[in-house]
Amino acid sequence: MLRTLLSRLSVAALALAAVLPAVAQLPPKASPVVTTPHVRAELIAHAPDGVAPGAPVWVGLQITHQPEWHTYWKNAGDSGLPTELTWTLPAGLAAGDIAWPVPKKIPIGNLANYGYEHTVLLPVPVTVAPDFKPAPALVGAGGIDIRLKASWLVCRKECIPEDGEFALTLPAQGSTALHKADFDAALAAQPAPLAQPGTIAVADQVLNVRVDGLPPAARGKTLEFFPETAEVIRTAAVSGKDWTQAWQGDSWTATIPLAEQRSASPTTMPVVLALAEADRRDGAPIAWRAEAPVSGTWPATAAAAQVSPALQAALEANTAVSLPQPAGSFAMALLGALLGGLLLNLMPCVFPVLAIKVLGFANHASDRRGHRSAGLAYTAGVMVTFLALGAAMLALRAAGEQLGWGFQLQSPVVVAVLAALFTLIGLNLAGMFEFGFLVPRSLCAAQVKHPVANDFLSGVLAVVIASPCTAPFMGASLGFAIGLPAAQALMLFAVLGFGLALPYLVAGFVPAVAHLLPRPGAWMDTLRRVLAFPMFATVAWLVWVLGQQSGIDGAGALLGLLVCLAAVVWSFTLRGRTRIVLASALLAGTAALALAIGGNIVRPAEPAVAASGARWQSWSAARVAELHAAGRPVFVDFTAAWCVTCQYNKKATLSDADLLADFDARQVALLRADWTRQDPAITAAINALGRSGVPVYVLQAPGKAPVVLTEILSKSDLKAALAQL
Amino acid sequence: MPSLSSSASRSARAARDAGAALSRASRRAVMAAAVALGSTLLIGAPAHAAPAVGQKAPDFVAMDTRGKQHQLSDFAGKYVVLEWTNPGCPFVRKHYGSGNMPATQKAATAKGVVWLAINSTERAASDYLQPAALDSWMKTQSAAPTAVLMDEDGTIGQAYGARTTPHIFIIDPKGTLVYAGGIDSIPSARPDDIKTATNYVNQALGEAFGGRPVSAAATRPYGCSIKYKS
Repeated sequence: MLRTLLSRLSVAALALAAVLPAVAQLPPKASPVVTTPHVRAELIAHAPDGVAPGAPVWVGLQITHQPEWHTYWKNAGDSGLPTELTWTLPAGLAAGDIAWPVPKKIPIGNLANYGYEHTVLLPVPVTVAPDFKPAPALVGAGGIDIRLKASWLVCRKECIPEDGEFALTLPAQGSTALHKADFDAALAAQPAPLAQPGTIAVADQVLNVRVDGLPPAARGKTLEFFPETAEVIRTAAVSGKDWTQAWQGDSWTATIPLAEQRSASPTTMPVVLALAEADRRDGAPIAWRAEAPVSGTWPATAAAAQVSPALQAALEANTAVSLPQPAGSFAMALLGALLGGLLLNLMPCVFPVLAIKVLGFANHASDRRGHRSAGLAYTAGVMVTFLALGAAMLALRAAGEQLGWGFQLQSPVVVAVLAALFTLIGLNLAGMFEFGFLVPRSLCAAQVKHPVANDFLSGVLAVVIASPCTAPFMGASLGFAIGLPAAQALMLFAVLGFGLALPYLVAGFVPAVAHLLPRPGAWMDTLRRVLAFPMFATVAWLVWVLGQQSGIDGAGALLGLLVCLAAVVWSFTLRGRTRIVLASALLAGTAALALAIGGNIVRPAEPAVAASGARWQSWSAARVAELHAAGRPVFVDFTAAWCVTCQYNKKATLSDADLLADFDARQVALLRADWTRQDPAITAAINALGRSGVPVYVLQAPGKAPVVLTEILSKSDLKAALAQL
Repeated sequence: MPSLSSSASRSARAARDAGAALSRASRRAVMAAAVALGSTLLIGAPAHAAPAVGQKAPDFVAMDTRGKQHQLSDFAGKYVVLEWTNPGCPFVRKHYGSGNMPATQKAATAKGVVWLAINSTERAASDYLQPAALDSWMKTQSAAPTAVLMDEDGTIGQAYGARTTPHIFIIDPKGTLVYAGGIDSIPSARPDDIKTATNYVNQALGEAFGGRPVSAAATRPYGCSIKYKS
């Protein structure tokens, strides 16, 4: 038994001996030194206590440059590239990051770089795992093979990219300390970390840098400033000429100009402050490092958007106006507007108006001409209102107002007036009063004797209510309209209105559709009373909207005033002296109440973001940047209380447990931008995405273009977009 | 009312255009003389700061490698790409040798984009190329720019804040700078990296032609420092 084992072992040993020479020759032995016409680069190590767990082990690339040539720091500055080191170490050893020595600013014409001339050592700490055991030596003493692939860009005025492969064998037990002086010098050239983080405030085109807690050795001295983040400051700016620095006790402050074509907007900037060459003392730190959080808003760079295919069609046309436009592009936008208008009919907020119309058609069911004129009048009402809204928007645009679609419901006064209007309509439908008692005879006659005017008015109402809910295409078409000449923009609005009115128009002209409607009869009174409820439901919704805008006091005040309004209207239906007395009393009461609490309606409430739950955070461009910096994708829900589509999506798709789990699984941060009240920042963000109304849903991974989803949010689309992350 | 404001702005624009045309005409003579003497000219641009993305791109006049004169404002209404180049730079050779830059140029000019390669290397530099030599080098690389402009005194380069070769700027039909930065997303001299890098120029032009804002409008330019005349 034992013998067989031994013989097998010896056979194995023999076999091993046979292959050993081959093993020793593969891979070819690289040397620790690479020499090029511009540098001599050497892989060196420092392990005074051997390579053992807990012992200090350093490796590094030492570059000796030819005169005038240089390689680069971790932030290379205006051009150049930092030196890259890729290590191959035995299992149990791990190389850290380069401990970059303090660089030198190397001006080249009106540009500047950060780098190293003469000789520099880029040291890298090696951590040894607690269970590290060097592989038993097959021949000779035990050794640890360290391999390095390095690439560096070496420049004078011209630049040469170079690379090299290096190899070094360290004894596991013995001491490696031949380059102690080099490593000591490289570590002495490290910036010393500061206890306090410092602050950086962005102000227009400068950074206001403040670094606290600098030691006495530095105080009062003129320091050099090296940001570790590239692409932020104007690298070539000269201290004392282009920027200034000052001392307040142990705090160093500076105002540093930003690069005009800045491409980085960090939330934290590690900065290195170094003493001038003349002030440096051996044995004392020559530089200090602070990681300063950045406050303030980076000057905007163009916002980005990527559009879902559904919107692409309408957006195709949305190229710069001065581009030679294909003739079809405006037609495409018009088609988009028409479709958008048609889809508006399916929006929940059009429903109350739809109810009015159904009643209207039922009123003259067999009257073809009546239908036709009704359809035409309604269409005219819708289109005129759209044109008026469009014209108002254009006028506001001309006035430089940052406004988007749906703005008419962002004003609490408008909401309150609409609530009053719908209350009146509801009370009228419920039969509490007839319009004849309320309004002057002439107008009342117009209402009754001119159904056309009535239809026109309901067309107007349809638009006022429907507009805040932009359907797919509408947002894109409007975004398009905003950049168009006035005439074309108005045409787009007209077509949008036409799309909204089209179903009624068709119903008016095609008898078959009209015949689907039941005959007039006693049921109409019932229907009329039933239809009061959608009106009151609309009032309830408007009160809620106002509550979002002006808070509970505003909503309460509105409800109180609506009750007063109902009472006043009722008092007018009375007869004789009672009418005069009661109406006067009620009017006085209403006026008193309006004076007392009416102000609450227009008083803006504190934004109630916390109310939307812990899962959703309040949106801000800065928050998005922060989350992106942390590597998290972000989903933004641009919403408003008065937008029914938004509420529907919020309650349906965005509350779906499966979907929320998907968000969590991908670490997506959920942000909500509430546009219930006017907010220029949100308006700007929506416009940047090529839209002008809510809802807008955007999914954006860090460093990627945002994906804009459709307005009627489907779970499958969203899941597909998440899968793309 | 919109009709009023639009007509007012129309007449204002007409007046502005007329003024611009006049001053253009008066400047042309001066410019033609200066450019003929081999220097580039900036027109009505502030002498100090480079434009940021979203700002107006400075107008200039320059002579191309074939002796033809070009002015940026001649291309109003078109997208214009400015590409700083210098065949002596390894990063430029990376993108030409691999065929990446010529392909990017062809894709752009096929869309009707004007592509101007600009060499701002000073005459005294070791790798300065005479116009004819630069022209023939471009030919050997199968490059397809609209023109290769000589900017030996660095006027255009300084006006745009061009730092590296390559360094790319894109100007929209209205004359606004919409992109400034690198050719792609992986700063290295290794041609192998082109495959995995995002070509920012293709991306920006694609977005612009799709009517979308440029998502990466300011990126890091990488390459050799431009050897400006000091």
